[in-house]
Amino acid sequence: MTEPLEAAERREGTHLLVRAGEYACALPLASVRRVVRAVTVHPLPGAAGELEGLAEFGGEPLPVLNLGRLVNAPPGANPAYPVTVVVWVGPAGAREMVGLAADAALEVVHVPPESVVAGDGGLLLGEAPVGDEVVRVLDLEALGREA
Amino acid sequence: MPAPCGFLLLRRAGGVWGIASAAVAGLASRGAGYRIAVGEGALAADEILGVVDGLRVHPAAPVLRRFWPEAIGGLAVHGRLPVVVVDPRRPPAALRFDEGERADEGRE
Repeated sequence: MTEPLEAAERREGTHLLVRAGEYACALPLASVRRVVRAVTVHPLPGAAGELEGLAEFGGEPLPVLNLGRLVNAPPGANPAYPVTVVVWVGPAGAREMVGLAADAALEVVHVPPESVVAGDGGLLLGEAPVGDEVVRVLDLEALGREA
Repeated sequence: MPAPCGFLLLRRAGGVWGIASAAVAGLASRGAGYRIAVGEGALAADEILGVVDGLRVHPAAPVLRRFWPEAIGGLAVHGRLPVVVVDPRRPPAALRFDEGERADEGRE
């Protein structure tokens, strides 16, 4: 049976809201694999500031990125990055698992596509109002594309 | 009998690195660390963790290459430790053995 259009649109608009510094970021829920307490990260000398290092998750190597730095968020009052959001990035045929160090996973929200104001064409899909806050809506597929 | 396809695991700069045992020509302690001879060059290690077989090596994903410019042989996990597998022909800068620095250490 075909999924009704409205249900499909609602599923695609479902996001996990994550706090990264002073920003709230909306990650497509379908790309979120798990939210865990911050994983132990081993640094990679010479890496860009966005890349915190390498961790182990489920027996697999996991690059861990700092979500706040990815979106240029001013650090919050307590920048401890206590959670790691494990997500899939990249195109469907070549997706890869990445950890995003963040301050908190907040809630699951619906972000209607028509409410998103255009972003930078890359990781930042755009901005959208959620409740009384403007959130950054992220395109995780873009994060995994070759630069 | 062919040599087993093992990897020498070492610790350096806060991370764990692996290099194919077949590429290692020699290993010697130098000061507080180690000098590992590979081909025409040498690598430095703070600690030698041992040799392991059967490391499942994953290719470095685009997102890693985007934020870390080093050429590597791949990524793996040993126990709960993530391992960067080194390409012995192009070792990361953090692993390159500084002959001058270690020679100075030896004179003290």
